[in-house]
Amino acid sequence: MNQENFWILLSKKLTNEANLSELKELEDLILENPEWQYAIQNIEDLWKHRPANDDMLAEDAYMLHLQRMKEFNIAFGDTISNDAAPVIGRSKRKIRWYWAAAVLMIVAGGAFMLFDKINQGRKGMGNSLAREVNEITTRPGSKSKIELPDGSIVWLNAGSKLTYNKDYGQTLREVTLSGEGYFDVMKMKEKPFIIHTSNINIKVLGTVFNVKAYPDDKRTETSLIRGSIEVTIKNRPNYKIILSPSEKLVVENDEIIQRENKTGRYELDPPPISAAMSVNKLKYDAADSTLVETEWIKNRLVFRDESFADVAMQMERWYNVDIEIADPYLSEVHLNGTFDDETILQALDALKEFISFHYEQKGNKIIINR
Amino acid sequence: MPQNEEIKRLLKLVALNDDQTAYKQLFMLMYHRLRQFAYSMLKSNEEAEELVSDVFIRIWDKRVQLLDVESPRLYLYSITKNLAFTRISRQKKQININSDEWLVQLNSIYFDPEQLIITEEILRKIKQAVNQLPPRCKLIFKLIKEDGLKYKEVAELLHLSLKTIEAQMAIALRRIAKCMHFEITSKSLHLASKKS
Repeated sequence: MNQENFWILLSKKLTNEANLSELKELEDLILENPEWQYAIQNIEDLWKHRPANDDMLAEDAYMLHLQRMKEFNIAFGDTISNDAAPVIGRSKRKIRWYWAAAVLMIVAGGAFMLFDKINQGRKGMGNSLAREVNEITTRPGSKSKIELPDGSIVWLNAGSKLTYNKDYGQTLREVTLSGEGYFDVMKMKEKPFIIHTSNINIKVLGTVFNVKAYPDDKRTETSLIRGSIEVTIKNRPNYKIILSPSEKLVVENDEIIQRENKTGRYELDPPPISAAMSVNKLKYDAADSTLVETEWIKNRLVFRDESFADVAMQMERWYNVDIEIADPYLSEVHLNGTFDDETILQALDALKEFISFHYEQKGNKIIINR
Repeated sequence: MPQNEEIKRLLKLVALNDDQTAYKQLFMLMYHRLRQFAYSMLKSNEEAEELVSDVFIRIWDKRVQLLDVESPRLYLYSITKNLAFTRISRQKKQININSDEWLVQLNSIYFDPEQLIITEEILRKIKQAVNQLPPRCKLIFKLIKEDGLKYKEVAELLHLSLKTIEAQMAIALRRIAKCMHFEITSKSLHLASKKS
């Protein structure tokens, strides 16, 4: 047979490039050469087999890509704005977290109406300098987006407080945070941006990160999205921890636990530090590369492998309710989930599908029992 | 396989609505293919990754014009190629425009034997055969078999004639088939000798 032509025709057939007369010609050639039957059959199978793409890799690449676009100042919508959230955030997840629950405010579209209006209350510091202080607070159940004088953006999560002095930006950019904030800090080399929380101080030049430092939480968490930040722990001011992008620093509050330094991240000689801490990789959601740590700015309450007690604490702030878990066993159950549109009761009902409990509502208080 | 229609649909959403979800879908759809294609020219994973990002920055910047593109798939590969060449010339390295020395990465040789009715031994041979294809042949095979491009698109992309594409595909296929042809004869011989 015409070998050359045989293979050309077979390739064309496999790639859907062959026309009718070519297909007919190939059929005849195959009949004349039955010894190739087995190979052809297998090649056809092999052809249909498609290697799976590694979506995780593509997700990571997409994250990096968005960061590069931002670095080049290419306008790509405001990825943390309220308008963008429903576009990026919804559809897909609904299927996966069908029981997920949520926030009323966005539904009405009048989100900002319900947000705590920035309370620009000015209090004298009682000091001789009488430094004026700007204070922004959010009630439980509401959030706020603030633009600082230098153009840096801060999203404040429910039940949080951000303060800064009137002289902000003159030599330093200093703020104090209690609660949770997502920071997008303008780059200004000569004026470092410093955040004080009750346990740690964070120094940055220009970057994006999330700080979770509620006084009643067990841990203070700092998640770096991009750029670089330097964290000092208050009771060990000499030791600095430099975080790289996609890393999260978790510091246990109020604990004096001596711990071996494993990370080798300290600039000075590695000491046993007097707060239990760890540096972890940030958890990206496999399906769409969203970050658990920053989903709240899109009005989504996300928790991954957290105890019911911790989840309840977040729900208290999120929904502005009091939750009491009366059963010690229930407090320790670990949960995964995402709430976005649900009310507090819908959220609790959703959780009931996964762990069995009963709840009772008394005014603003919810008591959970087995 | 990313069909032209799907790419066209996504590009349209991006162009008309600034649709970020569609933009991401397009990225996810094309990332591996374009990265591997870029790698074949740049020979560096890091640079290939960055280049795909450059391609998508270009897509975003020029999204309005994309509506007029006739074959979006070919368009994506073409800008990838053009940006890679620009990058290489900026680095003052030599460009192998004729694709003879491109370094092609293949996915399809890493198939799961469980899903096929062939033996490990044949599989090993096929992998070897595919890996030993001449670079240009391998590239053409990859673009058509894995990336789903049409002969015409590959011809245009690589500035080759349709006849060359046909011939190169035939070479690749014959080499793969030979792995199995040999196997069946040696196996039957083996069985025959056992019986006797």
